[in-house]
Order: sequence, then structure tokens, then C-alpha cells
Amino acid sequence: MKKTNGKERTAVTLVVNGVTHELNVGDQPYQVSPCHTLAQTLRETLGVTGTKVGCDQGACGSCTVIMDGRPILSCMTLTIQCHGSEITTIEGLADPASGKLHPIQQSFVDHSAFQCGFCTPGIIMASKSLLDRHPSADKQAVKEALSGHYCRCISHYQVVDAVMDVAEKGEGDR
Amino acid sequence: MKLFKHFDAESIDHVLEMVTATNGKTALMAGGTDLMGVLKSELLAAYPEVVINLKTIAGLDTIKMVDQECRIGATTRLTDIAASEPIQTTFPALAAAAASVGSPELRNMGTIGGNLCQDTRCWYYRYPDKMGGRIPCYRKGKGPCHAIRGENRYHAILGGKKCYAVCPSDLAIALGALDARVKVVGPTAEQMMPILDFFNVLGTVLKPDELVTEIRIPLPSKTAVQIFLKNRVRDAVDFAVVSVAVMVDQEEGVCRDARIILGAVAPTPYRAFAAEAAINGKSLNETHVAAAAEAAVKDAKPLSQNAYKIDITKALIHRALLSS
Repeated sequence: MKKTNGKERTAVTLVVNGVTHELNVGDQPYQVSPCHTLAQTLRETLGVTGTKVGCDQGACGSCTVIMDGRPILSCMTLTIQCHGSEITTIEGLADPASGKLHPIQQSFVDHSAFQCGFCTPGIIMASKSLLDRHPSADKQAVKEALSGHYCRCISHYQVVDAVMDVAEKGEGDR
Repeated sequence: MKLFKHFDAESIDHVLEMVTATNGKTALMAGGTDLMGVLKSELLAAYPEVVINLKTIAGLDTIKMVDQECRIGATTRLTDIAASEPIQTTFPALAAAAASVGSPELRNMGTIGGNLCQDTRCWYYRYPDKMGGRIPCYRKGKGPCHAIRGENRYHAILGGKKCYAVCPSDLAIALGALDARVKVVGPTAEQMMPILDFFNVLGTVLKPDELVTEIRIPLPSKTAVQIFLKNRVRDAVDFAVVSVAVMVDQEEGVCRDARIILGAVAPTPYRAFAAEAAINGKSLNETHVAAAAEAAVKDAKPLSQNAYKIDITKALIHRALLSS
């Protein structure tokens, strides 16, 4: 191929839950391939397996993580395009020192807002992002923010109750 | 996904240079929400050697009001379009269309240029290679359209001939009603084309070495009313079953310059000229609106399972015009 002035990245820097990771691009262990999705890198390279991959097609919302303040689908994002981004996954919510759950996580427990729990990390990340921006969001806003999430166990009603409980108590922006 | 090389684009010229250098074996990625699915499913026999990230081009994601038009950069995210104040006040149909796409997460990733250039959702066309082999069809250049004799409840009722897959873009429908133009840049020339000319029966008129860089929308008349309505199975994530965008100006109770664009009923955004003719110069009352709705679908030739789309189309046109 003709020489270009284009940037073919050789390393990717990601800040995942406050920890900076420098990953080289390549096909060896602990390296990132250009065709790796962010979900793959989080789960397989970094071992942060709280993020779940459901459909791997961008339709179910299970793989949602917060990137630079916005919820995005990690299964439809190339890791190599996330250079310099700050990513929060479900592991980044609980207090690492005390193990105390984030108020949204605690509310999900209190409301039994899941059965199998596979979709829960994605739903909690989308809820977290909503409450970060709108700490006292109303029910309609919660439903809209979570409209891209499927729960095969149909715990949607409890999920909305759990998020609304946090919004009403004003604890969401912690 | 199979391996490819990845480049961050620095400028549009740089993209054009790379596309030429790789002989077109290049995929351009903006939000990636459509392309990632295409690559994962390996639905086309040709797999790109190089993927170029357009999001790194500075200044391509801005919304600007210039002279008598609004200019939207191709990599502007749908969330930003739906939330933009100038868009909400001046182009409410576009804001509504952008807000109706996919899920909040997809709108945080997807861009306006990508929404126009996305590939169709026809389930034969999209069938993944890893599940027993991709399905060759007319759109892929080999074989017949399987929707004609197969499962076709979401396929075209208007304008289908050799391929009955519908245009999946919502923004194209709203932009059609707003008479927008698309800036297409290639290695030798750049052109501004009306949005409806941008689409053809098999997708878009883009050549492998061209890309969309900007969308320009003229300011509408102050008295014009815009409506965008979208019917779908579930009120989130789903693509449109039928969508309608209407822009209509009224003077002394008489309708003029109506533009009625239908989405997801034809292989391209479909301008309902007959419906426009039925309503122009008349008042928007029940009788005239019903006549316009009827005129819009008089050429419809439904397949075995999609005649219901005719009723939905009529109902949406009816609703859109009566609320204008």
C-alpha cells in the first residue's frame, strides 16, 4: 500500500474505572487487535467480566458501559477507537475500600430488580449515566433512558421502581 | 470479527487518499453501529482490508447556521442533533426523527452521515455467514430477491422491482421533507445533491471512493409546519414499519408547497407526489386529507404479507396532515 500520513495506532490507552491501561496493538496476549470490540477487551484482555455480551449486535443493551459520560454499547465499539477515553463499568460503582454498593446497586437488590441478572450491569450503567445527568429524573425519563435494554426475565417493572427510588431520594449523583 | 488494518483519519483529503491507495478495499466507519454488524455477520463476500475511523476528523461533527441554511457535519451524533436547540426550533421533524432512532446508547454512537449510508435491514440480505452461509440475492448481485416469495412483512409495498428491501434511514425521510442536500466528496469532484437523489433502489449512489461530509438544510418558511411520525412494532430500538415526514405551508387556510415523504415502504425514501397534488391548493379538512392518503398508496403493490402497511401508511399521512 502507498505510504500515507495516516495514523495506524500502535498503542491504546484506556482509563477503566480510574485505572490507566496501556495496551499495545497486536495479536499477542495482553495486546489489542484492531478488530477487537471494547467488550472483548474489557472481558478477555483486562478480565473485567462484569460487562456482559448478550446479542453482540447492538440490540439488547447488556454490554452498556459509560464512556466519557455517555452510555454506549461496548460490543459495537472498536477498542482501538477508544484511545484516551475514560470508561466506567459495573465494577467501578461499589466503593473499593469498604465494598459498599452504589445506591443504584443497593436499590436493585432491595427491589429484587432482576432474576438471572445477565442484563443488570448494562441497565445499571444506563441508569447511572441518566442519574449523573438528571439526579431527580421522572418516571418517563427513566423509561426512555432504559428503552434500549431487554430483560428476558421481564424484571422491567422492578427496574423502573428501583431507579425511581434512587431518583426520589436524590442519591443517584453520588 | 476478521482482522483488518485500522487508521484514524486526519482529514477528508486523507480519507480520499487512503481509499484510492487501497483500491477501494476500505470501509469508512463513523458511529459503527451499522458497519460493525455488517462486519461481524460477514454478510458480504468482500471484507475490507482497511477500516478508517472518520470520528477523528476535526470539525466534522458540528451544527452551524450559515446564511439561509443549516449545515450539519456528517459525524454529528444523533443525540446531539435531537438535543440541539436550533434543530429543535427550526427543524422539529429532523429532531423527532433523530430522537426516534434505535436506543439512547445507539444514538450516542450513531451519526447523521451513517444513518443515511447504513445498509438495509432485509433479513435475507443480513443473514450471517456463520449460520450456514450468507444468502446470495439480487442486492448482492447474484440470484433473485427472496422476499418476493418468502417472508416479506417488513418489505416494500411501493417501487419494488428486483429488490424489495426498504431504506432503513429515518433521518432521510425527515430530510426529504425539509428538502435537504447532501455533500458528496470524491477524489476528483465534490457535489451537492438533493437528498432524494442520494438514494437508489440498491442503497445509495455513493461510489466506493466517495463519502458524505455534510448535510445542508434550507431554512423553511416561517409558517411551514413539519411533522415526523414513525410506526414500529415496539416503541424503542425497532426500525420503522412505516414512517412519514410532512412539511406543509398554509396561507389563508389553503395548503401549498406540501412535501410528503414516506419511509420504509419503498427501496428509497418515497416522495408521495400524488398525495401532495391532492392537498396543494386545498384546505386541510377531513375529506381532502383522506383523498391525499388514498392517493399516496394508489400505486401500492403489496407482497403476500405486507398489505397491512398500506393501512398504516394511510393512517400516518392522515394523522400528520390533520395535525399540521
